[in-house]
Amino acid sequence: MSHIFWVVFGKEILSFLRSIGLVAAVLYSFTADIYIAGEGIQITPRNVKIGYVDDTGGGISQKILSRLHRPEFLAPQRFKSHEALSRAIFDKEILVGILFDQDFEKDFRRGKKAQLNLLLDATAASQSFTTLGYLQNIVMDFSKPHFPVVIKSHKLFNENADNHSFMALTEMLSVITLLIVILTAVVFVREKEEGTWDIMLLMPVDPRVIILAKSLSQVMIVMAGVILALGFVIFGAFDTPMNGSFWTFMLLTFFYSFSSAGIGLFVAAVSKSTMQVAQLSIVIMMPLIFLSGAWTPIYAMHPVLQFLSFFSPLRYYIEGSESIFFRGTAFVDLLPYFGGVLILGILLYWYGFRKIGKLF
Amino acid sequence: MADLEVRNVTVSYKKQIGIKAASLQANAGEIIGFIGADGAGKSSLMHAIAGVIRFEGEISYFSEVYHSPAEAEKIKPYMGLMPQGIGLVLYETLTVDEHLSFFAHIRNLRQDAAFKAYRQKLLHMAGLSDFTDRQAGKLSGGMMQKLSLICTLLHRPKLLILDEPTTGVDPLSRLELWEILDTIRKEEGTIILVSTAYMQEAAKMDRVLLFDEGEILARGRVSELIDSVRAYTYEEGACIGKDNAESGCLSFDKRSYSLDTLAAAHAEPTLEALFFVNALRKKRILPKIEIEARESTLEIPETVMEAKGLTKNFGDFTANDHIDMRLGSGEIVGLLGANGAGKTTFMKMLLGLYPIDEGELKLLGKSIKSSEDRQVLKAKIGYVSQHFALYKDMTVRENLIYFANMHRIPLSTALKRIERYARELGFDAYMEHLPGELPLGINQRFSVAAALLHEPVILFLDEPTSGVDTIARAQFWEMLHRLKATWGISILITTHYMSEAEYCDRVVLMRQGKKIADNTVKALYAKHPQARNFEDIFLSYYRSEA
Repeated sequence: MSHIFWVVFGKEILSFLRSIGLVAAVLYSFTADIYIAGEGIQITPRNVKIGYVDDTGGGISQKILSRLHRPEFLAPQRFKSHEALSRAIFDKEILVGILFDQDFEKDFRRGKKAQLNLLLDATAASQSFTTLGYLQNIVMDFSKPHFPVVIKSHKLFNENADNHSFMALTEMLSVITLLIVILTAVVFVREKEEGTWDIMLLMPVDPRVIILAKSLSQVMIVMAGVILALGFVIFGAFDTPMNGSFWTFMLLTFFYSFSSAGIGLFVAAVSKSTMQVAQLSIVIMMPLIFLSGAWTPIYAMHPVLQFLSFFSPLRYYIEGSESIFFRGTAFVDLLPYFGGVLILGILLYWYGFRKIGKLF
Repeated sequence: MADLEVRNVTVSYKKQIGIKAASLQANAGEIIGFIGADGAGKSSLMHAIAGVIRFEGEISYFSEVYHSPAEAEKIKPYMGLMPQGIGLVLYETLTVDEHLSFFAHIRNLRQDAAFKAYRQKLLHMAGLSDFTDRQAGKLSGGMMQKLSLICTLLHRPKLLILDEPTTGVDPLSRLELWEILDTIRKEEGTIILVSTAYMQEAAKMDRVLLFDEGEILARGRVSELIDSVRAYTYEEGACIGKDNAESGCLSFDKRSYSLDTLAAAHAEPTLEALFFVNALRKKRILPKIEIEARESTLEIPETVMEAKGLTKNFGDFTANDHIDMRLGSGEIVGLLGANGAGKTTFMKMLLGLYPIDEGELKLLGKSIKSSEDRQVLKAKIGYVSQHFALYKDMTVRENLIYFANMHRIPLSTALKRIERYARELGFDAYMEHLPGELPLGINQRFSVAAALLHEPVILFLDEPTSGVDTIARAQFWEMLHRLKATWGISILITTHYMSEAEYCDRVVLMRQGKKIADNTVKALYAKHPQARNFEDIFLSYYRSEA
């Protein structure tokens, strides 16, 4: 029995290595795609375009503006009127507009409440709102409230408050999910497309061995991809800390891959062509990724969605992986995550296995 | 100058040549037939003339000369093209009537009284007058082809290009299609270029072009072509002792071919003879097919397969309606019928690929009730699926080793057996190639080798000869006969070539899911003394059933 298992396993690996397109797609997903996701995401302001209208004749206004400098902001641009500034924001030439009206400096000098009007392009929400935060700090500095409290923050687990490695890791976990589902489904559906399915069915071989060997081969391909991604991108390009055990992470990934492979088996059972696999995988995977907390923290979701997120194996995988990487959690304390991944994984794989097994 | 002149047209694709320096002339009212195997260049030349692919050379139609698809635009209003494949130009959910309106609109035809009369006439000729409300998806294959043809004829083209309109269509519809073409060319003076996979249809053409490997091998009237090879055609057995292209002698289907004069009686040649004589002229060496006895010995029961009242439904549609069939040991049974007659469904039911809805099945003396019953028998059954499905990203050798492994044949035995089959079936030169790179005939034999690795008792072959050239087909049948003789294997084979019935021991004719005849070839000929060939016999069953 084990001989047949390795024959099928070897054949699938060989087939994979010979399909250049597939190899290229997997390599891209595990390297460049993760790098772009990590590098591309910007939450702190950078190169923000600022415009202003100054009717005060200078003074305080220029002092405020002089604090907005590179790399966060480009040199503020002066506009003649409120209308001109509004138009520039509408045309996306300016992200944040500052209006210093005539009374601003007068009121400030008299110690009255001076009003500073801001126009924010809220389509670039995070960039413009962080800019708002910067400006509030600058104004606070000026007003020097006599309030003897100083905040001293201690950044835990991610000392440099580095978003890149965090985003790259999340992206890698999403890539693993999507690829294992698609790859597993494709190895089965390709047989349907090429007409070899019938021949496979007529082999005097236990179908369970074929299903297991085929799905394990794809899990192994993804595990190899994970090692590449970790080496080149996560540790290489982004220098992400690994506070926990590398092998614990690999073990968690292995279990998680099987739960996703189960979804792949289900997709393979109901699809007729590779095209359908692609469509169906996206439709099924997107909710799982949304609900996992990869893009929105779970505590910020609607209670119904929070409840549903318990059923996304990706949730336990992401929380577990982050604990391993950033917190260096001990194995015993990771058991809940392992439990979540394993229980959902066994259920999903069992369901997919039965679903495709019925076709044999 | 002829009305249509094709001068030195060459079509080349990325890796291969479609057709090399082909020329032809045709005049109004002529039917020119293109005959040859898949990949021989028929479609390439048709597409070049239709101006839908790039080509080198020159084509002139009356005063219009074109060298490219762009220049061919100006003759498109006079042209009608029907591509290969049943119902390819049709829309499943549109009715017959809607199709005609749709094609009239896209061709921008004035729908006056004359048009309506012509349209009525076309519908009548196609026998579709009573089915104008039926959706195309619910028509039979033959009706779909007739509908495609009249849609193509709606704008009264003067140059009609039809790519294998009759392949896989039932014989009665095929006759009707030819009648429509004959009427049209007489009444409208249309030039008709038509390709076919059936040699028998050549008689209906004014002139025939024979295609082989991207070249036009011979051209002329059928009688002229047959005369040209008369001198090389002998009675069966003339080649005994030197049956090989190397010695200049080939035998197939009761005839032998040799370029040298033999001391034997001549036989009446058919068009197929041209391909054999060409192979001899080109000294194309055909591998000699020999089959050694099987390594294992086993008891084979008298009846290897017996089906009683097998029925398969797909929704409301009955694909197989209570079919009885028996396959004896060492018997070759041909399952004949048009596309959609239910041949493949029946075979898949026998194999267990479709569940049996009703009826009983016994395989090798064992009643089949569940999939467990089948598991044991899998080692005794070989199957070659339609289009020779094998793993495209593994070489021939890797494929065979994989199959041997799946059948748990010890590696040393498997390797020896693979070498032997490759030699015997003549594909040893292709062992390191991917299946996609092989000629169809080689692919066909290699697929059979894969199905024979475990030395089965029954071999199921689903349309193994479709699209394969004459010589490869001849070799294929020779191989099956040798297998039967040395292994005592039983073979069930499906085909839509009626002429292949001659090579079977017994034939089962199917039509719309029903069995309409089941008899030995000899008995069928005895029953129909006036029949010239199997096509006639099949037609008479079709007519009596219709």
